[in-house]
Amino acid sequence: MSTPTLYIPRSSGLHALHPLTKIAMTGVFFVAAATLSNVWWLLALYAVGLLPLAFWGQVFRPFIKSNALLIWPFALSLFLIQGFFARGTHVLLQLGPLSLKEEGLWLAAHFTARLLVWLGAAALMMIVTRPDKLMLSLIERGMPRQIAYIILTSLQIIPRFQDKAQGILDAQRSRGLETEGSLIHRMRMLVPLVAPLILGSVLELDERAMALEARAFSRQGPRTSLTELADSKSQSVLRWGFLLVMLALIAARIVGLTP
Amino acid sequence: MDRIRREFTTLTLVLIPVAIAINVAVGQLVQSVKIPLYLDSIGTVLVGVLVGPWAGALTGFLANFVWTITGLFPQAVAWAGVAAIIGALAGAFRTGDWMRVWWKSIIAGLITGIIAAVLSAPIAAYVFGGVTGTGTDALVAAFRSAGLDMLGANMAQGAVSDPIDKAVTFFIIWAILQALPEHFKARFSQE
Repeated sequence: MSTPTLYIPRSSGLHALHPLTKIAMTGVFFVAAATLSNVWWLLALYAVGLLPLAFWGQVFRPFIKSNALLIWPFALSLFLIQGFFARGTHVLLQLGPLSLKEEGLWLAAHFTARLLVWLGAAALMMIVTRPDKLMLSLIERGMPRQIAYIILTSLQIIPRFQDKAQGILDAQRSRGLETEGSLIHRMRMLVPLVAPLILGSVLELDERAMALEARAFSRQGPRTSLTELADSKSQSVLRWGFLLVMLALIAARIVGLTP
Repeated sequence: MDRIRREFTTLTLVLIPVAIAINVAVGQLVQSVKIPLYLDSIGTVLVGVLVGPWAGALTGFLANFVWTITGLFPQAVAWAGVAAIIGALAGAFRTGDWMRVWWKSIIAGLITGIIAAVLSAPIAAYVFGGVTGTGTDALVAAFRSAGLDMLGANMAQGAVSDPIDKAVTFFIIWAILQALPEHFKARFSQE
């Protein structure tokens, strides 16, 4: 079944890593980006950390593409809003009552670089990790199975609900519902659009519940899984290493050693 | 503890992913017909109102993880805590019997929206540099130009967008409750 996720199947070494190893790795990038405040260090973290990893994962181009899509709305808002409205004295450009200031642009660059690392690390994690394997790795460490069911089912049914919503929109339009016009008019069509979607899906819940119960969903006790996760001693060592790096970064920040 | 366990029946567990999918589908539908609201917590509010505060909170929390995993709105996970509180409030308002009368449901929505705005603003201000990467940033810019600082402008933007959005959300859920058969609602009720 098609799921609307970022995941791209490849047979790379990055894909083959245990999901927890990749979570720990993502964690290092998150903590590093949060503790560093120098723009150039943040950009370097992206260039020598995330880009080679994306290359190793054979997802270089889709990675760059998704990052570009993710970052530009932030970059646009940040440079405009901070550039013009942050406090500063170095005026670069005067536009009527508004002035573009150097301090604001630096602030925007700083936040954009940090978000680039954050969003990039999160996107890379999702691109190279199958969601069901990610969930399985968390279940094995004690996360309730029900949480995994909720997340994976949501991912599976979202496309169907998007189709349903589009179907309802088309059906109501063909019955003469005007979807253009003034704002008040468009607000009034909310109920005829939203109510059928919610009522229809809520009333078929019983079938879903019965289907799950027929498969012993609420049974207590241990389960076996169709998917097996490959792990190794060296990966376990690596995860502890990543954890130490995170703690070291936080400690360095507290004592004021980070640039 | 007992109350939490009573909320999470199999029926609740199948409702939650449906509610999350409703959040996504309705959020996108509203955008496609150019209504300036989010309505992307409507499923979360539904769970809170039908089942209770704990189930509502879990729905909101996980919904934002799902937004992130799909890549549709990857920054959502930063607001997972706020989404959880919206779900919990929906449950609390139904327990307090606010969801029976239409105007009370609107007030409940307004209150929820104000709380959501106050809680969301610091996240936008301190984590994302005062922006959310969405269309409401235009409002933030307007408030900054009026002289408000980063946190103030985000607070003001939230105070404009969120209460109206949540009031409409709660009102639609009230209307849907009227349409649902009694025996169906009774299956979720905890009393």
